[in-house]
Amino acid sequence: MNKIKAQNIWKKFNKLEVLKGIDLEVNEGEVVAVIGPSGGGKSTLLRCLNKLETIDKGSVIIDGEALCTETATGTEYVNKNDVRRIACKMGMVFQQFNLFPHMTVLENLIEAPVNVQKRDKATVIKEAEALLAKVGLSDKRDEYPRKLSGGQQQRVAIARALAMKPAIMLFDEPTSSLDPELTGEVLKTMRELAEEKMTMVVVTHEMGFAKEVATKVVFMADGRVQAQGTPAEIFENPTNDRLKAFLNVILK
Amino acid sequence: MDYVLKIIPQMLDGCAVSAQVFLITIVLSIPLGVLLSLGRVSSIKPLQKIIGFYVWIMRGSPLMLQIFFVYFVLPSVGIRLPDFESAAVAFVLNYAAYFCEIFRAGIQAIPKGQYEAAHTLGMNYVQTMRRIVLPQVIRIILPPISNETITLVKDTSLVYVLAMNDLMRTARNLVQRDFNITPFIVAGCFYLFATLILTVIFERLEKHFSKYDQ
Repeated sequence: MNKIKAQNIWKKFNKLEVLKGIDLEVNEGEVVAVIGPSGGGKSTLLRCLNKLETIDKGSVIIDGEALCTETATGTEYVNKNDVRRIACKMGMVFQQFNLFPHMTVLENLIEAPVNVQKRDKATVIKEAEALLAKVGLSDKRDEYPRKLSGGQQQRVAIARALAMKPAIMLFDEPTSSLDPELTGEVLKTMRELAEEKMTMVVVTHEMGFAKEVATKVVFMADGRVQAQGTPAEIFENPTNDRLKAFLNVILK
Repeated sequence: MDYVLKIIPQMLDGCAVSAQVFLITIVLSIPLGVLLSLGRVSSIKPLQKIIGFYVWIMRGSPLMLQIFFVYFVLPSVGIRLPDFESAAVAFVLNYAAYFCEIFRAGIQAIPKGQYEAAHTLGMNYVQTMRRIVLPQVIRIILPPISNETITLVKDTSLVYVLAMNDLMRTARNLVQRDFNITPFIVAGCFYLFATLILTVIFERLEKHFSKYDQ
């Protein structure tokens, strides 16, 4: 079943067309890696899925529910409350972590489950502690984010997103602002999630991760999907010229 | 010393008037300033403009003139307020404009990523502001708020223009009656004491609200 179905997505910033008719389908349990040169529209596409960016034209269906539907003139979003409800079916992990600095690690995790989903606080705390154990940060439960390394902050951010019990996880260049020696711990956590059959869309420059963990790789450049397929098809037998040039630069 | 003890009761009466103006201004102008700042950073263009105009008027003209306006001009359109209420209205409206700008700066200092994280966690506007943005804003704005509050202590002396017997006017009356400048010195000590207390309170608050940043 389709977890994400985005069709004919158009988006421009002022006069600059960033997305020019993108289609993206993600099935349950799939791990989709979106790769491509900077400025190719990868992050923008991801941000359109939960309406961090508003699209100009096209439709987006998340977990069977329409976020917006294409019309003759562009697109029509569902009402605000439904947008919020649909958007938080997807957990999102940002390049800059975006933890809440005034809350401890545990408070970061339980904030939305308790105050948005209105779930029982004691249960949520138990689940949050289990998530912290899973990302290997039980001992940081009561620390403030500032005290944590970048890699630890990003793992907390992943745990925070998971605490919402999302149907899908979106990763927007999760390792791009980390020191090289810290990317491993974050990628390991993501790898474990993939093994648990979490549906994931990962915008990344980590070709190793795309090759080994992804079930599908999407190559974007100039606002279009230039090529997509299994990691083998993309990395070993590229046919698209744009993709060949990109891989030459990246993998040399 | 005997003279000081003799004038203290009158000076304390003056302090009470000044303290009332101070307290009512703080209690009303800070919430009003929060509301104004939320309007000023909202996406509603006309609201931004109106509040911007309001802030310009309030910061751009003397507080004394505003007190006169409320006391002498408003009666001509049928709004007649006694002296204390007139002063309170002028002070609250004036200080709300300054607080509005302080809160606006604080709110705009919060990175966009905080709003985005809140959005992806399903938080609505009120939840985002109350739980995520404003608690972080408090830490940023405490130093300028402290500054404004201390300025307000001294600005309360402006109510003398409405012949209210605040600390400053009481002191001046005593000086003129007794041909002795001691009341000025005593008044100065009272003002310094008040600002000292406020300084200590704000230092504590700053420490409390920045505990996550140490």
